[in-house]
Amino acid sequence: MDVREGPSDAEVVARVLGGDREAFGLIVRRYESGLLRFATRVLGGRDAAADAVAESLVRAYRHLASCRDPTRLRTWLYRIVANRCKSHLARRATGDVSLDDAPPIADPTDNEAALERVEQLAVVEQALATLSSEKREAFVLKHVEGMSYQEMAAVTGERIPTLKMRVHRAREALLKALEDRS
Amino acid sequence: MRVALLLACVAAPLAGQSVRSRLEGRVPAAAIPVVDSLVQAAGREGLPTEPLVGKALEGGAKHVVPALIVSAVETRLDQLRSARALLVRGGDAPPATPAEVATVSGALRRGLPPPVVERVVGALPNEPRESALHAIADLVAHRLDADSSASLVIDAIHAGLRGGRLLDVSHAVLEEQQRGRTWAESFARVRDELPDVPPAPKPGEGTVQRARRPSSVSKAPTPP
Amino acid sequence: MNSIDPRVHQALDGEIPREALPPALRRVAERLESAAALLAAAPEGRSVADRVLARLHRHAHSPVRRLARWLTAPHPVTLRIRPVWSLALAASLVLLMLLPEERSTPVLGEHEGIAQFVARFPGAHSVQVVGSFNDWRTGTIPLEDRDGDGVWRAVVVLPAGAHEYMFVVDDERWVPDYSANRFVEDDFGRENSVLIVRPVKG
Repeated sequence: MDVREGPSDAEVVARVLGGDREAFGLIVRRYESGLLRFATRVLGGRDAAADAVAESLVRAYRHLASCRDPTRLRTWLYRIVANRCKSHLARRATGDVSLDDAPPIADPTDNEAALERVEQLAVVEQALATLSSEKREAFVLKHVEGMSYQEMAAVTGERIPTLKMRVHRAREALLKALEDRS
Repeated sequence: MRVALLLACVAAPLAGQSVRSRLEGRVPAAAIPVVDSLVQAAGREGLPTEPLVGKALEGGAKHVVPALIVSAVETRLDQLRSARALLVRGGDAPPATPAEVATVSGALRRGLPPPVVERVVGALPNEPRESALHAIADLVAHRLDADSSASLVIDAIHAGLRGGRLLDVSHAVLEEQQRGRTWAESFARVRDELPDVPPAPKPGEGTVQRARRPSSVSKAPTPP
Repeated sequence: MNSIDPRVHQALDGEIPREALPPALRRVAERLESAAALLAAAPEGRSVADRVLARLHRHAHSPVRRLARWLTAPHPVTLRIRPVWSLALAASLVLLMLLPEERSTPVLGEHEGIAQFVARFPGAHSVQVVGSFNDWRTGTIPLEDRDGDGVWRAVVVLPAGAHEYMFVVDDERWVPDYSANRFVEDDFGRENSVLIVRPVKG
């Protein structure tokens, strides 16, 4: 884990609960990129992810007193975002992601490696989009957000064996998609 | 005195009645599709759905705008998910029963800290926790320390008290406090009385009615 | 769907060291990790910080929040609600309520109890209770002020358990039951009262 400058999560939470509303901005700036990345991969779009993360952070502020262990603020925030993403997906007809954001367009002046990365990312994103939302969420939490299975259980409320099964199935689907492409 | 006795069922999901049919005419049309989808999602996740339907109906009765109704239903769904996660952490073998998920969600909404709720879940494996949680919440609502309140109620559980008798325990503490004792003295006195804590006093007379789910649609009043 | 050798899963889950994998399986693990690394690149987009903080400012000063704070301020109440649990009392209440007309006695089920609602609204023309037990439907549980002293009452058979409710006064004003001492946010900017009904039997 990166060494973070500035006050600890527990200190910031205490300040916010003590009435320093502006201190919540520290939490937002500290976690928004990871939360946006997570939500984007689960929902398949940046705009929907930004909505989900913004709504989640507002909810987190209102219910900050219920975060009884500020040392686990990260998993608490991810749980709120995970639930918000589930609700967003529930509002879609099928729950599938549509990848409605345009895929990254490679600049013709990019070198070959960069172009290949763009192509590969598109393949991986498409493979991810074919997974069920539960498997997609599990894979992203494990391999993108770098969580342990214990942390994932705290975020999702699911049992560890269930989460492992979802991650394993997601890996298999992803590998097949990559192999089919190549 | 009149007996106003009304027919039909008390509040419980009516078998065979779809969510949409319960919402139509009572919840703004713009909110119904999203609320329905959230309820379906809850059902797929094994969560209780009645709290979500009830929240939407409440919003309709209070003349709340559709977006706020949807937001409130989403909030309830999030709360139910958190409640189930807590039950699993507290030791309940998944899948947690919908009734217990609703109970724990209610306790958290009343302001009980999650670790305290987990303690109660662990103290009452495979038993309903509603009365225990509300007994603690009653004390917390009067600014008593949550952990001390939980310890007293858990002691009452170990002394063999269950259900409404646990509410008698919290009532007894509040009565002692009203007599001028400190909270510590009140806890100590009630703990010494376990399991023979006096029951809460009984209410007076009135007109007995039965809550019903009427078939006719009535005009909802305008909230302030 | 192709299955992956379980050792790859174990290595990726940290259960066995990567070095324990034969070269072919190590390449499979690396391929998956490379794919995950592509996903780990933060997507471009504007920060949500300004949006979030702007909403927090609006939330703190909203008229709804001010109204919620006003509504939850203590009000003088002359009577407390006591939940009923005794079968004997329930039976006596029922007997007192019987009339010569064609009224039937409420028969309590195993998981039902009796709740008493009491509230002081002098000058009101009608008071009813609306809550989770009647699907938040008005016009079903009226309170009565028989002697015109402004104290309204009703005794109702309800399922045992926790219920949320409010009073509706003169078909217009929604008011929490301040004597109940149990409240939860209704998520619409106000608070509902909470009632715990104890089963008459057991």
